Amino acid sequence: MGSKDFNFSEAYREIEEINEWFTKEDIDLEEALKKYERAMELIQKCKKRLEEAENKFEEIKKKYSK
Amino acid sequence: MKLEEIAETDLLAEEKVFSVSEFLDFINEILLPKEAIVQGEIGEKVDKRERYTTFNLIDKKDKSVLKCFIWNDRLETLGALLEGGLEVKVFGNPKIFKSQYGSEFEFEVKEIWLLGEGALKQAFEALKRKLQKEGLFDERFKKPIPKFCQKIGLITSRYGKGAKPDFEKHLGNFGFKVFFFDARVEGIFAISDLVFAIRWFNENMPDLDVLVLIRGGGDWESLQAFNSEEVARAIFASKIPVICGVGHESDLTIADLVADKRASTPTDAAKILTKNWEKAQEEIKKIERNLNFYFKTQAKNAKRELLALKENLTKKISNEISEKIEKIGNYFQGINFAYKRFIEKFKIQEENLKINFQKIKVILEENKKGFKRLYFALEKNISFWKAKAKKRIFEEERKLLLSSPKFRLRQGYTITLNKEGKVIKRAKDLKISEEIITKFFKGQAISRVKKIENKNGQ
Repeated sequence: MGSKDFNFSEAYREIEEINEWFTKEDIDLEEALKKYERAMELIQKCKKRLEEAENKFEEIKKKYSK
Repeated sequence: MKLEEIAETDLLAEEKVFSVSEFLDFINEILLPKEAIVQGEIGEKVDKRERYTTFNLIDKKDKSVLKCFIWNDRLETLGALLEGGLEVKVFGNPKIFKSQYGSEFEFEVKEIWLLGEGALKQAFEALKRKLQKEGLFDERFKKPIPKFCQKIGLITSRYGKGAKPDFEKHLGNFGFKVFFFDARVEGIFAISDLVFAIRWFNENMPDLDVLVLIRGGGDWESLQAFNSEEVARAIFASKIPVICGVGHESDLTIADLVADKRASTPTDAAKILTKNWEKAQEEIKKIERNLNFYFKTQAKNAKRELLALKENLTKKISNEISEKIEKIGNYFQGINFAYKRFIEKFKIQEENLKINFQKIKVILEENKKGFKRLYFALEKNISFWKAKAKKRIFEEERKLLLSSPKFRLRQGYTITLNKEGKVIKRAKDLKISEEIITKFFKGQAISRVKKIENKNGQ
């Protein structure tokens, strides 16, 4: 999956939500397993996105002149 | 050398060659005598060192700046603090300050006259009040800066000493896409450059996450573009959130107030953008550890529970089996017992039967004996019994004879019968002139009834 199509903010929010969910007292184990798998998938993607992250600089050539 | 003489000297014609220091001294010789009074506004940045203080004197009209220098002992005689924005008249002389780091032209101040509030400061305060009243600084208009910005529009000067490199240096490596728009940030063209850049990004790259407007530290005067109404309104109108980081931490400009987020410096602007990425980098690892730990614990617990369950189950099953075996045992014992009891009963009955047989045998034997005795007795007494019976029969016969009608008739009794042969026992059963038969012991007579008397003897 290309990092271009990957929405880091949304993935991160979902990871945080899942983590929050895990702090609850009553956890259904089956549900937990599903959420765990989902979180791990997202975490790997986020980590990949963070590792790949080279900044790119581009100058706007359009120049205002008076 | 007198000034007139210098003016008249053709240095090139003489091919006079100066050392740098000599040349600076030469110029200073010309400048030092040019004492003058200059009126202007004191710049915002008053740099007080141990022995001397520097500040800028600004022309109110074209904003041109005169760099001023004053010894602190001279300054102290003023009896007032030197503040940015004050309009003053200063007296002193121009000179070149010799330095290894770049000699500079400056005005050495000997006297200062205060002239009331500074025009720039006043203008700043006036604009601030106006825009505040309009609500341009209101929190409710501030757009949130996305948590994880990726596309950044950077507006600053290519030539600035600090701002751009500082910003880029502190941007870390989080895959930012930085679109740089070179704009002048100082001087008379700065305002129109900044306004154009802000509008250009909004029109051409509206999907940017954030606009970053930065300028390095400098004199208050040099930040004037960021205190202009035009730039303030362009920032306010921007659909893309704006972070503004101008000068040093203490420099607060109108642009800072209007911006969605104020960064104290260009470095701070970069930190605002990287903060969440850095945090996420740590958080993600932490969450990953948390979740893994949770599942390890869960797995351990589950294993433990299963083992306990297994043990319980084994115990339970073995208990059940034991119970069943015991029950079956009891059952067999019951059957055994019943069987035994049955056998015993049977034996008792058999025994009883035997006893009964014995009894019957005895009884039979006894009866047999009795019969025999009876038989013998009978046989023995038969003649006696015969005689006894004969006598009895004779007696009975006699009794019978005595009661017979014939015997009675013999004794003289008669029997009266009607025609039908019915014995007449009462007189009233007869009718007058009815024929009756009277039987005697020997013969009979037939007669007619003449009279009937019902009572005896009448």
